[in-house]
Amino acid sequence: MPKDSGPHDAAALEAYAERVREARDRLAPRLPDIDPGDLLLILQSLLRPAGWERRFFLRLERHGVHVF
Amino acid sequence: MSSDERFLERLLAALEESGVEAIVVGTVAAVLQGAPIMTQDVDLLLRDTPKNREKIDRLCAALGGAKPIQASPLSSTVTLVGPSIAVDLVFDQIPPGLGFEKIRSRAVRVPVGSRVAVVASLADVVTSKEASARPKDLAQLPILRDTLRVKRSLES
Repeated sequence: MPKDSGPHDAAALEAYAERVREARDRLAPRLPDIDPGDLLLILQSLLRPAGWERRFFLRLERHGVHVF
Repeated sequence: MSSDERFLERLLAALEESGVEAIVVGTVAAVLQGAPIMTQDVDLLLRDTPKNREKIDRLCAALGGAKPIQASPLSSTVTLVGPSIAVDLVFDQIPPGLGFEKIRSRAVRVPVGSRVAVVASLADVVTSKEASARPKDLAQLPILRDTLRVKRSLES
């Protein structure tokens, strides 16, 4: 399998999008009470390849602005 | 790796260097298992022993001179201030009385850079936030519960 070079690699990004689409199509009928937008967000997060960057800390900057 | 992952990797290295056995709990535990949420701190569960209390000083030094502050006179939680992200040390158990050993028996191991984090299971994170029932925990619960259901469906 070729080395996954992350979300900036067009082929890796397409493969990731296909995995998300396939999972969404398979799971949406089984989980009808989950909002479709939330389901897509959750699948994007769960299926994100391990080597791709993740950001999850909010930092309070000057002037009270939160950034990540 | 993002700066957030680098921070966690550095924290895990500092824990190893200081000899503190800790389990990642709370929101970061959920994030490391795919929950699409954000947070401002890291919660770690430790056993409350005299040795571990001594090791906290070493941990602070390994984190570049963090300072431990008791979160409240009514709580044993210690917050390490100084690092770019606050680190909360919770001792022995998390709500609703889930003990260190029980949490560890169900924990998962998640690679973070060159380190491996021992992370409370997503189900335990949900149970703990349900029991805490603080507004910020309750706000996260719907997406955490949905993440758990989707994760289980993907695995079945």
